[in-house]
Amino acid sequence: MHRTGLIAGLALGTAALLAVTACAPRDGGSGTTAAPISADQLVASLPAATTAVDEVTWSVVEGEPATLDPGASATVITPNLCDNLLALQPDFSIEAGVATSAEWVDPVTFVIDLRDDVTFWDGTPMTAADVVYSLQRNQNPASQWYAAFVLISSIEQTGDHQVTVRFTAPDLGFRDAIAGGGGAVISKAFGEAAGPALGTSDAGLMCTGPYELAEGGWTPGSEIVTTANPDYWGGAPLVETLRYVFVTDGSTLTTALTEGEIDGAYNVSPGSRSAFEADGAGSLILGPSTASFSFGPATSEGPAANPQIRQALSLAIDREQYLDTVLNGLGEVQKTIVPPFTFGQTEAHDIYQAGYDALATPEVDLEAATALVEESGEDVSQPIVLAVPAGAKEFQQTAAIVQGAGQSIGLTVEINEMQPADFGAMFYDPAARDGIDLVATQGYLETPGVLGYPSLFMLPEDQGGVFNWSGYSNDEVTAHMNAARTATDPETAADEFVAAQAIFAPDQLQVTLAGSYQLTYLSDDLTGAVTSIAIFSSPWALHLGAK
Amino acid sequence: MHTLVIRTLLERLGGLLLTLFLSSVVIFSALLLTPGDPIAALAGGAKPNPELITQIRAEYHLDDPIWLRYVQWLGGVMSGDFGRSFVYKTDVLDLVLPRFGVTFQLVLLTVVFILIFGVGSGILAATRGAVVDRTVAMVTALGMALPTFVVAILVIWIFAKSLGWFPVFGEGSGGLDRLWHLVLPAVSLSVMFIAYISRITRSSLVAQLHSEHVETARVRGIPRGRIFRVHVFRNAVPQILAISGTTVAGLFAAAAIAEQAFGLGGIGSLLTEAAARKDLPVVQLVSLLLVTIFVVLNAVADVLSAVIDPNTVTTGRRA
Repeated sequence: MHRTGLIAGLALGTAALLAVTACAPRDGGSGTTAAPISADQLVASLPAATTAVDEVTWSVVEGEPATLDPGASATVITPNLCDNLLALQPDFSIEAGVATSAEWVDPVTFVIDLRDDVTFWDGTPMTAADVVYSLQRNQNPASQWYAAFVLISSIEQTGDHQVTVRFTAPDLGFRDAIAGGGGAVISKAFGEAAGPALGTSDAGLMCTGPYELAEGGWTPGSEIVTTANPDYWGGAPLVETLRYVFVTDGSTLTTALTEGEIDGAYNVSPGSRSAFEADGAGSLILGPSTASFSFGPATSEGPAANPQIRQALSLAIDREQYLDTVLNGLGEVQKTIVPPFTFGQTEAHDIYQAGYDALATPEVDLEAATALVEESGEDVSQPIVLAVPAGAKEFQQTAAIVQGAGQSIGLTVEINEMQPADFGAMFYDPAARDGIDLVATQGYLETPGVLGYPSLFMLPEDQGGVFNWSGYSNDEVTAHMNAARTATDPETAADEFVAAQAIFAPDQLQVTLAGSYQLTYLSDDLTGAVTSIAIFSSPWALHLGAK
Repeated sequence: MHTLVIRTLLERLGGLLLTLFLSSVVIFSALLLTPGDPIAALAGGAKPNPELITQIRAEYHLDDPIWLRYVQWLGGVMSGDFGRSFVYKTDVLDLVLPRFGVTFQLVLLTVVFILIFGVGSGILAATRGAVVDRTVAMVTALGMALPTFVVAILVIWIFAKSLGWFPVFGEGSGGLDRLWHLVLPAVSLSVMFIAYISRITRSSLVAQLHSEHVETARVRGIPRGRIFRVHVFRNAVPQILAISGTTVAGLFAAAAIAEQAFGLGGIGSLLTEAAARKDLPVVQLVSLLLVTIFVVLNAVADVLSAVIDPNTVTTGRRA
């Protein structure tokens, strides 16, 4: 009796194991049962809640952050704690925040006017001095927002509630940056007392946001507990306690979410789509995003540095199959690394959209691809090494698809799965890229601003192209990109960017494989959450609560 | 009799210190020699530029020779300073101790399961006839073949998803809630070890049952229950204990898989994460803790054996 029970259990358990680990369709083709998604099904935010809730448990898929310092890294926790000067909306438009206005008064002078009714969690009022201190922190190369601050010559208090930022050259993108973590306001007194420990579990933070991190609220290795700020200038949130836990194992998280033990999570795995869409405590919500999967060159030598080889690989990859296999249908074909959601709400969005529409849609053409390989004159007898981060199923599948595509056009692609520390090292240490030809990554933009992402890959290294590892240099691209950055009106900036994009996009400095939707799983009892990629820059739990 | 026990104890203590010292050297140098660079962890999320990298390397003495760094580290350890985590920037001890508590409770519950079901089924197999013996043999064969993560998926599916009796993630809020949260992880972790201990128990008991002194006792008409308690079980205990010591120590390392599957913040999951991110001070402390536990538990098992039956001291020494 006992034995039969166990064996029956084993058989069922094995079936469950297959269901958990092999969620991707095995045929990889159009035979998936999952319904296709149309763009109008995407929602950027849920209707605001009206009912208070005592406690919400939220899982941070990326794992426990090392710090909550907004200058050090983008986490989904910080935006609920620290207000940015301008408020990024779920649809990626920008509105006033703790700054009532933040505008260019002339091409090199930017004036920020502040609200006078904002206080930090400890009750002290937010002053212009706090804003000057917070912005100046980003003038340090260690800040992740440094690039948006390099053209600044001075940041000064020019009134009780006014800060003036002066530039050495016009920089239209600055306004976008302060709607993200680059504009996060931190108490000067608290920050100076905490020193370099600011944002860690020891020292904590002092901000003005809708949720407070109390002393002892962060138990390293276990959880971060935040509570509603009753005096929030935008009105107190409905969730009294917002508790963050860190479940990084995909199948554990899927079970905990569908069983209702965790109320919600962002960036859940597309591989668990069927489990999320089955009966459970909550629902999968699809939102617009700027995130995409891509791969690009890691060396200035050999085939990977040759645009024709990258174009050939791009022509050999079936994007629809990629979407089905890697994203379980939860994404869309994207033509270049700057996706339309980035500029959809900007002033000159018509120009950007027309430029995007004019780009070629990726297609499969093996003959043309093979011809490109021959034309390139590259020696392809040696394998091309593609580096992917180890342990992530999406990247294993990406690698396999690129490898298969290469094989079909006579390129041997060798996969190098790298541990996080080694993979991370490639981004600043040239020696760590030795022997690597291509690197696959997933990237996203936290704020609007079309220039940020391409600048890193297209421009010469000394002009901000920190990931321009193939030594790509095109004078026309550089000129248009610089003209776009220093333009004084949005239309000129858009025209210049589109002109640059028309040249760099076909050169495939990043071979974009697919744009992925923002995936949120939320308990059916709750509503009000932001569900677009704006979660990295806006207080997404401000309107969260019960239905 | 007494001196033998004390001698074993002293020998063990010396061995423990020597093992710890050698392991610390091995752990320290192995970590520094493996490829990869802790700069990414040290820089947090920032994209480090050359100046920042130079500054970090100097601050953490990353360019000093290995032996010097080892001596500095050992000096710190001697004064109770295990360093700061590269990733969390907090005292390593503060980071590791609470997580060690979770793992310790998980292992404790697992040991209870192992003793009850492992030793229990072993006794049944040895004493309750051929049918029971064969059934236990089959079940334990299956149990040994089931890796922890498979059992985890199985029990989550049955007891958490289908029946809804137990939670599937987290360590709970302490007390009974903690116990409730630890049941399924402990079950996942114990199955393989239950099977193992069951077989060890069975074979030691069987060996004793067929030994000369038990035959003699039987011939002399001593009651069966007494024979089992005094002659069979007591003589089999040292061997079971010795194996259990190693097994329990192994549980601390094996716990990582159960911790991962159930989202428990224990030292196993901490170690895997820290190793992947090259958070050296954390890896060093956790590895040292694991080595210490391993050696101490082995020693305890030996000393216990000696206390129970001093005759085994000369023959029962292991490792």
